Amino acid sequence: MSWGLRKARMGVLWLVMAVMLAACGRHQATAVGAVALEITHQVDGQALQLHEAQYPTPQGERFSVDKLRYYLSNFRLHRRDGQWFVPAVDAQSSKGYYLVDAADPASLRFRIEAVPPGDYDGIEFLVGVDEARNHAGVQSGTLDPAQGLFWTWKSGYIFLQLEGHSPQSGADDHALTYHLGSVDAQDRARSVYLPLAPSVAKVSERIEPEIHLYVDLAELFRGTHEIRIAQLNTVMGSSAGKTLSDNLPGLFHVDHVHNEPRHRAHDS
Amino acid sequence: MKWLAVFLTLVGLGLALGWPQFSQLAADSWRRHGTPRLQQPEGWPRPVYDFSGNPLSRAGFELGRALFYEPKLSRDDSIACANCHQQFVAFANAGHRLSHGVNNALGTRNAPALFNLAWQPSFMWDGGVHPLEVQPLGPISNPVEMAETLAGVVRKLQDDPRYPPRFAAAFGSPRIDGQHVLLALTQFVGTLQSADSPYDRYLAGRVRFNAQEQRGLAVFRAQCVSCHREPLFSDYSFRNNGLDAEPRDPGRAHITERAEDRGLFRVPSLRNIAVSGPYMHDGRFETLDAVLAHYAEGIVSSATLDPALRQGLKLDAADRAALRAFLDTLTDERFLHDPRFADPGEDS
Repeated sequence: MSWGLRKARMGVLWLVMAVMLAACGRHQATAVGAVALEITHQVDGQALQLHEAQYPTPQGERFSVDKLRYYLSNFRLHRRDGQWFVPAVDAQSSKGYYLVDAADPASLRFRIEAVPPGDYDGIEFLVGVDEARNHAGVQSGTLDPAQGLFWTWKSGYIFLQLEGHSPQSGADDHALTYHLGSVDAQDRARSVYLPLAPSVAKVSERIEPEIHLYVDLAELFRGTHEIRIAQLNTVMGSSAGKTLSDNLPGLFHVDHVHNEPRHRAHDS
Repeated sequence: MKWLAVFLTLVGLGLALGWPQFSQLAADSWRRHGTPRLQQPEGWPRPVYDFSGNPLSRAGFELGRALFYEPKLSRDDSIACANCHQQFVAFANAGHRLSHGVNNALGTRNAPALFNLAWQPSFMWDGGVHPLEVQPLGPISNPVEMAETLAGVVRKLQDDPRYPPRFAAAFGSPRIDGQHVLLALTQFVGTLQSADSPYDRYLAGRVRFNAQEQRGLAVFRAQCVSCHREPLFSDYSFRNNGLDAEPRDPGRAHITERAEDRGLFRVPSLRNIAVSGPYMHDGRFETLDAVLAHYAEGIVSSATLDPALRQGLKLDAADRAALRAFLDTLTDERFLHDPRFADPGEDS
């Protein structure tokens, strides 16, 4: 997409956001809130430990994880009254594109800001990067190709990178290598919708809710498609990874929601 | 007062030389010393790459130029982009079928010439990479080329006292990141424009072709132009030009995973072709005569062979000699020796 068109589209988006914000502002308090997200990783209930621990897959194969990194983006929050809150994005920045790295505790907690007060009962996001940003040229911040999650022999982001070992892998050194991304125009980042029920996230001037998600890697091997490492040990952006990509939304679960007063949420 | 003097001098020069010579002199001087700007010559399409998202500046272009000649882009600081892309052969790799990377590793595909890249919709022989900005990631990280990571490049440049001020001048911050490294490189490689060959001057009515060149142009337009479309001399499609019955390199199919793309490669431009051999994606042909012989009598049939080449090309000896003469008119000497694109050297 050309820069001009990209800019024009972003311009329209901004305008829509501005109108929406202005419209909201008339009905509600001017103060805006935030929602914090916290992510933990596990395999069938066991906390994920990188490098050493081995975990069983649902098919009885075993694997360990050295590296787990992925993008989450395009967050939307669903309010109980049926409205969606869509955070503003800026084509010039990677704000709103979160790079989660199991080895980097700071990346496991992030905030969605400028959320209008209200009771939210659902959250939606992409595992990966949307089509426009996936082909938008060189970007900065979390989307900087220097993060190492941009393919070098073809163009596009690695949405999820899982590297480890498995005795069932026939690759050199029993390596397990899953680099998943968009393979073709039909194969875009998978969307996840998670209801918060029975909880709600009560965003207000005083309360910054914390939504705790857990990511269960066992789901990578069951879900829509059953995956056997003995048959699939290496995926580097090929269509062989589509089955794994189809399983991605099943990894994400809501653990619980805290509705804590703001100062406490900040301190934790 | 100073400006008045300069103005009067210029007017005087203009009067003395006459306007056409004066404007030519001014243009030449600007061309030699100014920061390149992308021109859209008469008859050319609009560039695909839009610099409005990466505004060209002198600081940005000169930084990109320094990076292009910077061996720190490779893992052991031994190889710069310019090692395999040499200006005097239109930024191809002179005399190398395949190029040597760090530790003398050998690549698998011929290093292409670099020019008019702002018009090229996708990069690499298989077209897997686009837009232009992200292309350098390929050679930087390929284990048989520079074998480095972009993060590693950023770290080394940040630690080199010459670079943070240059990034600050170009992009407003001395904190180097991958985006700015790639945008600077794009300012350099994206302005490598070659549009001043004898062919271009012929089209503009500034020079004549001799009979041989004239005939070569006619042969070219009858037999070659459907893929090597003027004025860029490529339609930027992917085609199997009959090199192998069973291609060892899957080519385009490596990206698309489609059987019908097996053995297809990007149609290269023919500008500067006489100086930028060896030829083909694997550099198998040393000379243009070998290339023309291939098209005339060497086409190998396969499932994905381009339909236009099923019968080979009808090129007798006289046609080939004329084509050679015409292809020589595509060499842009000014581009090959443009000082703005040369190694800036240690003192930059």
